[in-house]
Amino acid sequence: MAQSGSIPLIKTSNLVKKFGSFTALNGVNLEIHPGEVHALLGDNGAGKSTLIKILSGVFPATSGEIEIEGKPIHFASPRDASDAGIGTVYQDLALNALTSVTRNFFLGREITSFNSPFGLMKMREMDRIASEEMAKIGISITDPEQAVGTMSGGQRQTLAIARAIYFGAKVLILDEPTSALGQKQQMEVLKTIKRVQKLGDIAIILITHNEIHARLIADRFTFLSLGEVIGSGTAEDLAGDDIKTLMAGGAEIGDLAKELETV
Amino acid sequence: MTSSTELRQEADRHAPKKQFWAMFVRPEIGPIGVMILLFGMLGYFSIPAAESTWNPFAGEGFNALGIRNNLRVISQLGIIALGAGLLIIAGEFDLSIGSMIGFAGACMAMILRWGFAVLIPYISFDGGVHVEYFTIFSVDHVTPVWAIFITMCFTLTFGWIQGFIVVRSGLPSFIVTLGGLFFLRGLTEVSLRAFNHRPDQSAGSTTVTEIPDLKNIIDLQGHGELSRLDAKSLPEADLVNLTQSLSTDMVATLTERLAYTYNRVAEAKTAIMETKGVKPLEKALENAVQSGNDYMVNTIQDKIANFSVDPVVPKTVSDVDVARAYIDTIPTVNQVANFFGGNILEGLFDWLYYPIDWNTNNFGNQFAPGLYSCVMIWLILSIFCYIVLSRTQAGNWIYSTGGNLSAAQANGVPTNKVKISLFVFSAFCATIFAACQVFEVNTSDAAKGNLKELEAIAAAVIGGLVMTGGFGTVLGIIVGAFIFGLAREAFFYIPGIDGSFYRVFLGLVIIASALLNENIRKRIMGNI
Repeated sequence: MAQSGSIPLIKTSNLVKKFGSFTALNGVNLEIHPGEVHALLGDNGAGKSTLIKILSGVFPATSGEIEIEGKPIHFASPRDASDAGIGTVYQDLALNALTSVTRNFFLGREITSFNSPFGLMKMREMDRIASEEMAKIGISITDPEQAVGTMSGGQRQTLAIARAIYFGAKVLILDEPTSALGQKQQMEVLKTIKRVQKLGDIAIILITHNEIHARLIADRFTFLSLGEVIGSGTAEDLAGDDIKTLMAGGAEIGDLAKELETV
Repeated sequence: MTSSTELRQEADRHAPKKQFWAMFVRPEIGPIGVMILLFGMLGYFSIPAAESTWNPFAGEGFNALGIRNNLRVISQLGIIALGAGLLIIAGEFDLSIGSMIGFAGACMAMILRWGFAVLIPYISFDGGVHVEYFTIFSVDHVTPVWAIFITMCFTLTFGWIQGFIVVRSGLPSFIVTLGGLFFLRGLTEVSLRAFNHRPDQSAGSTTVTEIPDLKNIIDLQGHGELSRLDAKSLPEADLVNLTQSLSTDMVATLTERLAYTYNRVAEAKTAIMETKGVKPLEKALENAVQSGNDYMVNTIQDKIANFSVDPVVPKTVSDVDVARAYIDTIPTVNQVANFFGGNILEGLFDWLYYPIDWNTNNFGNQFAPGLYSCVMIWLILSIFCYIVLSRTQAGNWIYSTGGNLSAAQANGVPTNKVKISLFVFSAFCATIFAACQVFEVNTSDAAKGNLKELEAIAAAVIGGLVMTGGFGTVLGIIVGAFIFGLAREAFFYIPGIDGSFYRVFLGLVIIASALLNENIRKRIMGNI
């Protein structure tokens, strides 16, 4: 659990992003602490995607500051962000389904002799590391040579998360990790996130539409609506009904059942 | 309600591989089956009509000359299939391979024949406006290494340009290399006609001939560098002198070998004369039996039993013969030309003739001098490609570039570099193919390599590659080349059938393999 008063891993102050005349983000302040799952909630078009794209270096903010461990930083490319310890796991997971677990785990960062693209890959070492790292966050794979295409959605998510952590992510941004998964696999992914949280030194930004999932594992919540933060707080601060209201961007959502009856 | 609450882990659903079974679920297993079938067909159909045997290796497809010729077809196709195949795995096509072969061959042949020069054209006004050329440098005699090097500069640059256009414009490589196909073929014809003027022709021919047989030029003591053919037709006195200058061991070895050949030829001649003599008698016997003339039958049977011809006397080995045999053993001065256009395993094929007596033709002479060296080049390139694709970081990049481009880019794989390098490699393979042809036959033609790009792609598809990229192995590409080459040769031997049926067969094989490959890919992708 994060101690209030400790230096946050990431801190954004007054982030503004404009696309031409359209203001996507209008002064967002955010603090992310190690060992904490920070749920970023909001309806479609609230600015969640814009925010994480700025944090992972896809495009720069129009104004405002990002600090990592207290130091202001500027990302020129996704590579910069990943070097600074921000690992983003996008919805498509960036996996090549046709090749093996190990080859995907080390894709682009293979361990080779002579450190050259034409050096031989140290397959055994890579197999071992991939298996170990995935076991650390809860999935044992019988065969690291198994093609990723044969794995379940939950396993793939775990592979992508394990990969981001192994290559130095201190902040893990998970973009809707539970969408498009079955019940059981959603549970697997939530367990994985919980295990990462327990490692203690990694902060997780969890983008989700699913308030139940957020309530199950998040320590802190930030609600975005129309590019602004409309509410934030720890799990204890928020009563269940608040979450629902805030997720809809402040609009009153009555009892769904009642509303449907009127149709 | 029934329910099973027994905890199963996700990992349990993936059964661990069984070692033995794993061998059969490899993606190459289908093509390997077809390859074995074709081996059998080639063997059986090429068994001479007179013989009846169940051993496929008795067929002409598997005698020394058959192996030599079949492997040549297979390995030449195999070389370009490697270039085309790796590119397909990275998700792109190269349709310019065939034209690249024609261009590289013509370029190499012209440089070997007329030399190389760099000219700058400019417009001159002295005595009317016309174009003149300023020569920066000019070389008349270019060695094979330099000819290949200069050609490589052109072809690899062209491959690079095609790759650059593809990655920068985002155009389908199919279109870009289709442009390359026409551009290069046209350029080849135009430049051949421009450079190949004969005094009696208004337009030049599109073939280059009269390139010296570079791989057979030797350095003979006292005579300088000359071709083996010229060396053998030196005045007899010179040849006798040459033999006398050799060590006694050398002369003894050569004499023994020549004596064996002459004996073997004499034996074969005797055997041929015997069959030729007996054949009319057998025919007469048949007639006699039919007409029921017992007296004639007895007489002819008697004649057949007592038939004999005087054995042919073997030639004696003279000093001139020894000198000529020695000339064949002198190594060439153009090792590079020999590397591409010469023979390999000559020692082995000699041994198979004497003392093994397998590599012997019907007239008692040695059948095949060795294998074409393109077989060795194919082997070297295959091993290189196998290691790169399966064992190195570059290989993982190639797979991921074709398998999921955006994933590869997101993980920092330089996908543009990967693609451009493979376009360059494809041009490299085409140039190697051209070098093998030029140094083997010492001619070149603007039509060389026609349709080869499609054959290379076909071999790759048959070998288990998927057109969308990301899937396939070097072993598969090798097997694909074998299937293509074997089909062509095997159908040639089927009696009473048009040889072009091999195309019909290949067409079916291509469609069947594509269906099978798609199926395997879907299984691995989890039906995505």
